[in-house]
Amino acid sequence: MADHIDGPRSIGDPSIDLTDLFAFASPENAGRTVIAADVFPSAGASAMFSNVVNHSIVVRRVTVAGLGDTAAFKSGDEEFRFTCRFDVLEPATNGAQPIQRGTFTCPDGQVLPVVVNDEKGATTPDGAFRVFAGLRSDPFILAWLLESLKPFPNLLQHDNVLSIVVEFDTARVLDPSKGSLFGVIAETTPLPSPSSLVGHEPPRYDWIGKPEQTNMRLNNAAMAGTEDLRDLWNQQTPFAIDEDVRPLFHKRLIDSLTNWDMRDGRADWTPAALIASANVFLDDFLLFDVSKPITDTSFLEIEKSTLNGLAYRTGGGRTVDANVIDILVTWTVNRDRESLRGGATSATQPGGNTFPYLAPPSAQLQTVADSVDLLAPPDRVWALIGQFGGTWHPLIAKIKLTGAGLGQLRTIETIDGKQIIERLEAIDDTRRFYRYGGITGIPAADYTGTLTAKPKGTGTTVEWRVQYLADGQPDIIVKSIVSTLLKTGLGSLKSRFDTTK
Amino acid sequence: MSATLDVLMAPSPATAGDIAVINLESTRRHAWSRFWHTPQRPGLAEYIIEQEGLALAFLGDIGALDRLGFLAAQLAEMEGDSLRTSLVQAQVASATHRFADAGRYLAQAQRRGAPAATVNRLSMTIDQACGTRLDLVLAARRQAAAQTRRLEDQVPLGALLADLREFEEADEVYRRALRGYQDVSPFAMAWVCFQLGVLWGELASERQWARAEQWYRQAVAYLPSYVKARVHLAEIYVADDRPRDAETLLIPVLSSADPEVCWRLADVMASQGKLADAEAQMQAARSGFERLLARHLLAFADHGAEFYSGSGNDRRRALELARINVANRPTLRAFEQAHAIACRAGDVDTASELSVAATRRWGGAAFFRFSPLAEYRLQSAENGVASCGQRAN
Repeated sequence: MADHIDGPRSIGDPSIDLTDLFAFASPENAGRTVIAADVFPSAGASAMFSNVVNHSIVVRRVTVAGLGDTAAFKSGDEEFRFTCRFDVLEPATNGAQPIQRGTFTCPDGQVLPVVVNDEKGATTPDGAFRVFAGLRSDPFILAWLLESLKPFPNLLQHDNVLSIVVEFDTARVLDPSKGSLFGVIAETTPLPSPSSLVGHEPPRYDWIGKPEQTNMRLNNAAMAGTEDLRDLWNQQTPFAIDEDVRPLFHKRLIDSLTNWDMRDGRADWTPAALIASANVFLDDFLLFDVSKPITDTSFLEIEKSTLNGLAYRTGGGRTVDANVIDILVTWTVNRDRESLRGGATSATQPGGNTFPYLAPPSAQLQTVADSVDLLAPPDRVWALIGQFGGTWHPLIAKIKLTGAGLGQLRTIETIDGKQIIERLEAIDDTRRFYRYGGITGIPAADYTGTLTAKPKGTGTTVEWRVQYLADGQPDIIVKSIVSTLLKTGLGSLKSRFDTTK
Repeated sequence: MSATLDVLMAPSPATAGDIAVINLESTRRHAWSRFWHTPQRPGLAEYIIEQEGLALAFLGDIGALDRLGFLAAQLAEMEGDSLRTSLVQAQVASATHRFADAGRYLAQAQRRGAPAATVNRLSMTIDQACGTRLDLVLAARRQAAAQTRRLEDQVPLGALLADLREFEEADEVYRRALRGYQDVSPFAMAWVCFQLGVLWGELASERQWARAEQWYRQAVAYLPSYVKARVHLAEIYVADDRPRDAETLLIPVLSSADPEVCWRLADVMASQGKLADAEAQMQAARSGFERLLARHLLAFADHGAEFYSGSGNDRRRALELARINVANRPTLRAFEQAHAIACRAGDVDTASELSVAATRRWGGAAFFRFSPLAEYRLQSAENGVASCGQRAN
């Protein structure tokens, strides 16, 4: 029997793939620190955590060990480890989603049961720790095509991730009197198991410190033909990169940072500064200082000031709304000579001021599509439906056009007296399609419709596709409105063309 | 390697199968949603191909093939002259076993500047599936497997070695894949276990059903909704006179669109004397196969041939489909299937013709000596006449 023998190019569990790490002071209470780690890029609406890994956030105290071209940060040995693990699913009744529970272990050994997607989270009896785990809107803004450094709309728009958000009493847990600068990483590691005879488990599956260490710096897409070091990097021990391979990573970072520096054709970094920058990035942990303000723009300020030979002024860290890619791109390309901006400056949803701070999951775009096969040839069909202002639809009483060409508006008055306004976004009479966006009249956001007439034999297939986010009405209501619109319109074409032929 | 040693391979930790399936399905739907919003997003179409491939291979979601076809058509409409479109079209054509089309799209991609590594990877897939240039494919597979040690490179090597009847080495390669895997996807682990089940339950010259059963059971343990693994395991249960076990195994995946489930359940019902139920399942299987063959003839020709030569009970249709499969992907396995069906149908001329063609193609190859086709030729030569005799397998 035939099998699809080649299989996928890579077959890992995306739910253990760490995407981001955040560290900031709680907007609700400046005396509490929030650290959040995200896994599972582009997670679907029902995403769940893997039940066979530990999800850990590890904090260590850090000191500044050098300034300027000798900039360095030294991490201490004391470790504050927060670990979350999740169980298998519990079946739910009445067709509801299954429930996933987990266990959160605090650095002081307290253990908290958590329920995935419970927005209130769980709090230790002493109030020192609070934790949330579940699906949230991805706050990352990736608005560049990094290989060519071209601005682009946010590539992660409407995406969600699985988040683990930990909030704790800063003074009680971290004791800043011993030093207020910290480095944090997150990692996914195997659960301890008595034996695993099949293979040898890796010490960890993935880890993250500063954003984009692997995808922008170690595996710079603009450096064709270089060996992919990401797997080797992920096998390293955070805070203790193997001395044997450290030179390999250091060399790659220098090459990559040099490439980034020259992306605008101008060298803003001296060779010595590039080496220092590579050293700082090689010690890959997210720096934050709990005694200074952490803002949406303070990300990387500690590293930047230190490399510039100055004392840092902010708490660095990374807030939910920080546009870290623009900050990194600007710093690595022109050393802050000129601000570089991607094609979007905000994520799908901004972060919130209350626990758990990351916004609720972004609604998934809904699609309603329908089609009809007609006996009439495409040109004849398109002559009728290809007019943006055409009143062929039986539910439309009249249409008023405002403007001309792309961007023109049509104000539709329906036979039951409602008004819908739509804007023409694209039209191609040769390929017989047009696309329009909704302005008002349908309780939906991001409303886009596409109408196409394609040849089918000697006849035509008319396809109508609408995509939207329900807004102000339940999904099912909006879907019913849109489905009726499509079905009635396409049905009318059937009776018009197939009976008049 | 003995079955006892197989047992000693304790399962490696993997994310629970139900979690992985929920994640796959919701991610797949989300990927399509993103595609409609930003179809030009880099890597998205390629990601959808992988997600749909998993849904097809593991969940028996045969609608994945339609969705893949739709994806390729949409890209062709939006950016028909792009390199990306050619590569996606090649992958989709390959997934639906339209290998000639896949080759054409790949050549087009090459003209449009596709990276050599990408072209070689797809080209190897097509060659392996069609049984062409196997010596080159084997060398390249060995090299890739040795270099990366990744499961994704070991499994195709194991599959090729099995095709070349190097069963022990294939077994070792699959085990190496299991040992070396450093992630927790149950899809990966179940995939290798399933391959090991097929190796010892279907491909090996001397079938070892106990050994195959153990691997299929392990595959199902990793991924309870693994339709193919359940179907193959059920076949073993039926052969071992355990129809109730087979029924228990098949019922939970009856809702999948894979007609093999209905087919095997029909056999199970029949073996228990539940003839009305068996007939209902057989009807569902027959209409299911015909529906698939109408939409994706080349992808399911060999499956259809197997069905109709078995309890589907239409040997003419079986032979017709088997020959279509041979024409599309002239592998030794395809020849053997067609030959066996011709023998069962008493079509001596076709059996001889297939035997001659196979001998012409692989007569000098070591692996051909162990093929039933070689033995058939030998017997024919000795007897002076063609005879299907005992050769049907």
